[in-house]
Formats: sequence, C-alpha cells, structure tokens
Amino acid sequence: MADAEFPQCRIVTERFLKPETVEKILNKLAVIPGIRRIVINGPNIPQLVPYGPARGLPNPHSGRATIRVGETDVDLRVQVGTFLLELETRDLVQQIDEACKEVFTNFSYSIKEGKFMKSTPTQVDYAKYGPRANEIMLGLVDPKNKTGPTLLQGNR
Amino acid sequence: MAYTPQYGPGQSVVAENRRKQMNPNVKLEKIRNVTDEDIVLILGHRAPGQAYPTAHPPLAEQGEPDCPIRKIVTPTDGAKAGDRVRYIQFADSVYNAPSQPYQRTYTEAYRYRGIDPGTLSGRQIVECRERDLEKISADLVNTNLFDPATTGIRGATVHGHSLRLAEDGMMFDMLQRCVLEGGTVKYVKDQIGTPLDKKVEIGKPMDAAWLKANTTMFHTLVGTSYRSDAEYIEYIQRIHSLRTKYGFMPVE
Repeated sequence: MADAEFPQCRIVTERFLKPETVEKILNKLAVIPGIRRIVINGPNIPQLVPYGPARGLPNPHSGRATIRVGETDVDLRVQVGTFLLELETRDLVQQIDEACKEVFTNFSYSIKEGKFMKSTPTQVDYAKYGPRANEIMLGLVDPKNKTGPTLLQGNR
Repeated sequence: MAYTPQYGPGQSVVAENRRKQMNPNVKLEKIRNVTDEDIVLILGHRAPGQAYPTAHPPLAEQGEPDCPIRKIVTPTDGAKAGDRVRYIQFADSVYNAPSQPYQRTYTEAYRYRGIDPGTLSGRQIVECRERDLEKISADLVNTNLFDPATTGIRGATVHGHSLRLAEDGMMFDMLQRCVLEGGTVKYVKDQIGTPLDKKVEIGKPMDAAWLKANTTMFHTLVGTSYRSDAEYIEYIQRIHSLRTKYGFMPVE
C-alpha cells in the first residue's frame, strides 16, 4: 500500500463557497465510496483579528462555521474555494463531477486530474511527525496547526 | 498654447472611465447617500459628534512664521483647525471594481488638496486632516468610485482584491466588515475590524453590467481585455521601450 500511487483530482469553483454549500458538496462526496482523502482549501479566516489596532479582538465571521458532514462535525477555518481529493480509482472522477453539477448550479467549476497533495515530508513535517510519518497525514493539515484532520466514518 | 491634460491613453471604455475619474472638470456621479455620521462610524477615528482632537493649536492662534510659501498656499479647513492626520483605505476587487489603487491616487491627487495618498498593489490609503478626510471619504463612498460589494473600506487586514468573489458577489474579507443582508450591504465593523454598535447601511451592490461599464480595471475574463485597447498597448510599449533604452531620462 505504501508504494501505491493513488489518482488525485482538484475541484476549483468560480466563487468562494458559503458553509452551507460546502456542507452540501461534502455530503455528496462523503457517500461516494473510494475517496481516500479530501483537503479543503481557501483563504484563512482567523479567530481573532490578526493585525492592526484591533489586533486580538474576536473576529465573528459567517464563513467560520461548523458544518455537519455525515455524522461528523467539521469546523471550517477557511473560506472554501478548492477541494483536493485522493481517489482509489480514476473512474470516480465522473461521479464527483456529477455531484458537483448538482450543487454548483449558480456558478461554474473545474475538475482537474493530477497530483496535488504533498507526497514527501518537508522539514516541518519531519519536526512534527518524526522519521516514520504516516504518509496519509502528509499534506492533509498544516503541520504547525494543533488540530488534526477530521475522520469520517467509512461507508463500506 | 494652453496645455490641456489628456489624463491617459486608450480607446476602450476602461480608458474613458479612467479619464472621467481623473478629470476634475467631470463631476463624479452621486449614487448613494451615506450620511456623515455613518462615514465617521466606518472610519472609526472618533465618535460621531465628538470634537475633532487636535495635533497642534489652530494656525490663527499659534503664530505663523513669515514664510512666502505659507502666503501662497491657503491651508485646508483641517490644517487651519490643527486636526490630526487620519486615513481611509480601500481594497478594490479585480472583478470590475469601479476604481483601483493607482487610479484612486491619480483621481484624488487631481481632485483634492492637502492629501497624502499611498498606493499599494491591492489597497490604497489616503491620509489627510481629519475633517478634510471625512469630506473626501463621503465623496469616495457616495459616488461612482465605489461599489459596496467589490470595494472594501479596510484599514487593516485588506487581503481580498485578487481573490475570487464569494457566492453572493462580495469580495473576500477576512474580517467580514460588511455583510449582504436583504440585498443591501451593511458594515458591521469599522475599517480596522472593531464591531460597530449599529449596522451601517451603505447601499445595494451595483449589477454586473454597471460594473463592466464603469470599471477602470482591465480584466480578460469578466471585463474588457487589455489587449483589445490598441492605443493603450502602443502607449505602454513606447514607455517600455524608452525606459529600456534611456532609463528614467527618456530622450527620443
């Protein structure tokens, strides 16, 4: 398993998504058997105001919400605009495309196959996970972040 | 022969909009009516109704030295009263925002006195005396230089001008200073991100057709492409060629 290379794809939407739309698409993706990992990307929404005279004040933001994917709560910390997916087989892309078509109705999106996730540990990964890092963790979350990835209950 | 400024090259609608904004003889089109009090709230420099804090005594009281320049230059109201220097900063989305940093600076420099504009890639700040600033800000917000969705008043944490728009058409704002509620944009935080006691209504976002017709930014995908303006291309190639050959002292 360790040497196997899994196909990956990237979904980029024309617009940044509301948490409700992210919830919708993730729930569609979560029921497709054969998606190994999903990374959601976008600009950071900080919990506190990071710069300026108001630095340190709480930063209420509708994009920083908790969504429910399957039976699991997922805390969004970014305004989502990109999804990276690692698949077991390439033919899943078709199903993913159909799920996107159903959800992204008001704007366009693109799906691209390629290699998008980190495959070799960086120095920071090494400092965090040590020499025997679990490959599945690489590139899944920022190694400097204290929170880990969210695990969804498998569907088979 | 009297010199008539041309303001800028180009035959496209974008070029024409740029010239209109820069030319002080063209009146800016008033689109919305944000009150002075609301402007003060968004700026966040003083409470509405509060007296202007001063940086020095009024010029009439402090005794000016005998200086020929001071005799030529009439001080602005803010300078006369000794106001503090304060700022307003804008971030403009690349998706057909009505203005953009360089354009703002040119426009303000042609139209207003006693200002210090600062131009950066994704934001533009203008500093001046506080009471002058409030007047200028009202102009900048109430006219066709501003769109509630694609222009942001952002004192700090300005990131957003080159990012995709959100689903509702708003430019990304890490601090979400303004929200779209019932089709109207309301500021819930002042420009640095401090929550406001009341929501400040700033108006409806302009539609895509208006933005495309009134933008001063070229955009290949959603607006007018730069390559479609032959005169602009010729101009920029000439400048590039002169700079390359002669540095900053071009001689043809």
